[in-house]
Amino acid sequence: MLIVSWQQTFWVLAEGFTSLPHSLDRHWRKAEQLTTAALGQTLSLSNPVRQGITAYIHATGIEGGYGFFAPSVPDSYKLVFELHYPDGRVEYELPHVADAATGLRLSTLLDQIGRTEYDPLREVMLKMLAYSMWEAHPDASVIRAVFGFVALPTAEEAMEGKTESYYFLYAYDFTFRERPDTAPAN
Amino acid sequence: MRTISLFGSVPTQRQPIKFGGLFRGQVRDFLFSPDSDRWLSLLRIGLGIEIVLYSLSLREDWNRLFARNNTGFLSRELSEAILSIQSPFVPRIGWMVSLGEQVGLSEQTTLLLAWLLLFGSGSLLIAGVFCRSSAIAAWLLHLCAAKSGEYLAYGMDNFTTIGLFYLMIAPLPDRYALDWKIWKRPRCDPQILGFHRKVLQFHLCAIYFFGGITKCLGAGWWNGNSMWRALTRPPFDIISIQTLLSWKAALPILGIAVCLIETGFPFFIWPKTTRLVWLLSILAMHVAIGFTMGLYLFSLIMIVLGLAAFGPGAVVLWQERHVAQRAASASA
Repeated sequence: MLIVSWQQTFWVLAEGFTSLPHSLDRHWRKAEQLTTAALGQTLSLSNPVRQGITAYIHATGIEGGYGFFAPSVPDSYKLVFELHYPDGRVEYELPHVADAATGLRLSTLLDQIGRTEYDPLREVMLKMLAYSMWEAHPDASVIRAVFGFVALPTAEEAMEGKTESYYFLYAYDFTFRERPDTAPAN
Repeated sequence: MRTISLFGSVPTQRQPIKFGGLFRGQVRDFLFSPDSDRWLSLLRIGLGIEIVLYSLSLREDWNRLFARNNTGFLSRELSEAILSIQSPFVPRIGWMVSLGEQVGLSEQTTLLLAWLLLFGSGSLLIAGVFCRSSAIAAWLLHLCAAKSGEYLAYGMDNFTTIGLFYLMIAPLPDRYALDWKIWKRPRCDPQILGFHRKVLQFHLCAIYFFGGITKCLGAGWWNGNSMWRALTRPPFDIISIQTLLSWKAALPILGIAVCLIETGFPFFIWPKTTRLVWLLSILAMHVAIGFTMGLYLFSLIMIVLGLAAFGPGAVVLWQERHVAQRAASASA
């Protein structure tokens, strides 16, 4: 548990997210690599030791570290669907949730999509969300998933009347065919 | 046992000081100091309530979250495929569905059964019936749900897993459980109870220390900016901007207080004089997080863990200190 916590802390330091001098970053990186190795995460993915340690870490709930909203609070992400119909109409929809508890989890999902650096994975995730939207609107010919982040105003800016700004990051066009009982298809 | 004499070869009748033994003894006395099982009752009932509320909060979306061909969020197969790359041994909903298919149950039925079992295990934990089995079932089912919905999981899920893991291996049942009243089992060794509580206490100290120190490293927590962002960031923006602006001057103080309370937790929760104050501060912080950010389940699990680890005895320690102070001033 302590090694995981140190590893997460060193990662935050090594990424330069803190107010500490950047000249120390390489030292933090070394420390992070050391703790990563101690957790067996430098072994091959198929190594049973690594798999065993990973299973233990997940089973005890200690895989995440404890630096929530630290060292700073990140921007929040937003997903908007553009539903294009054959007659030229365009409608806008947000992902649907049944209640606040799931809304909180959807927010986590959008954060995960935003942090994903591997483009094909991000596309698959957005495609799955777009598929659910298409199921609710099967007449739509194209569903465009527009992903961006919301920049919040500072307290000073809010006092001057400035509101949040939306910044575009990615957009993907998806088309789905009528294929009941199958996974989403493009 | 190897001992070291301070006096070397000088003949002496004194008992040689056993440095290694003395240290080991102190550590053992500290780790295995006898304790009652009140903390375990708090942990069991608190986690039971958490699991019941967790399952109720996801009832509407349970199938959307975990069905293979869902019509809501990510397919659980994506999370499970990535999980399999990391380790094939981590429990997941897919295992249960496969098991259900072996006995002819549809995915929908297995998912419904999993939800009912989770809700049931939480209820049984509250009552204290089949404590061990209920704790294992709650841990396993919650873990499966958290891992199959990895991309939708947040801090609350991790802390619930932590709590359930400790409960699962704890010396159950406690004296307030129906199990104990019905079966009249012998009481657990107070030293074993004390050791289990110490492990939970150390873990909580690490949680707050690392959470606090990472916040301290960001400038935003010292000037109120992170506090502002935390309270205005969707979906945590429960308080209106206008209300927050009227409290703008307090934000840096609150941000610094969060840093100090969390980082100072492992240092001020142990001394008798500061334990109650620090515990109340951390509980107040979580109550505030719950009501101002809508993180009710997260706050509840942190309050449960904090109360179980440091609650029982905190008031007694504070009272003892005051009685001693009064006695000292009276004799003076």
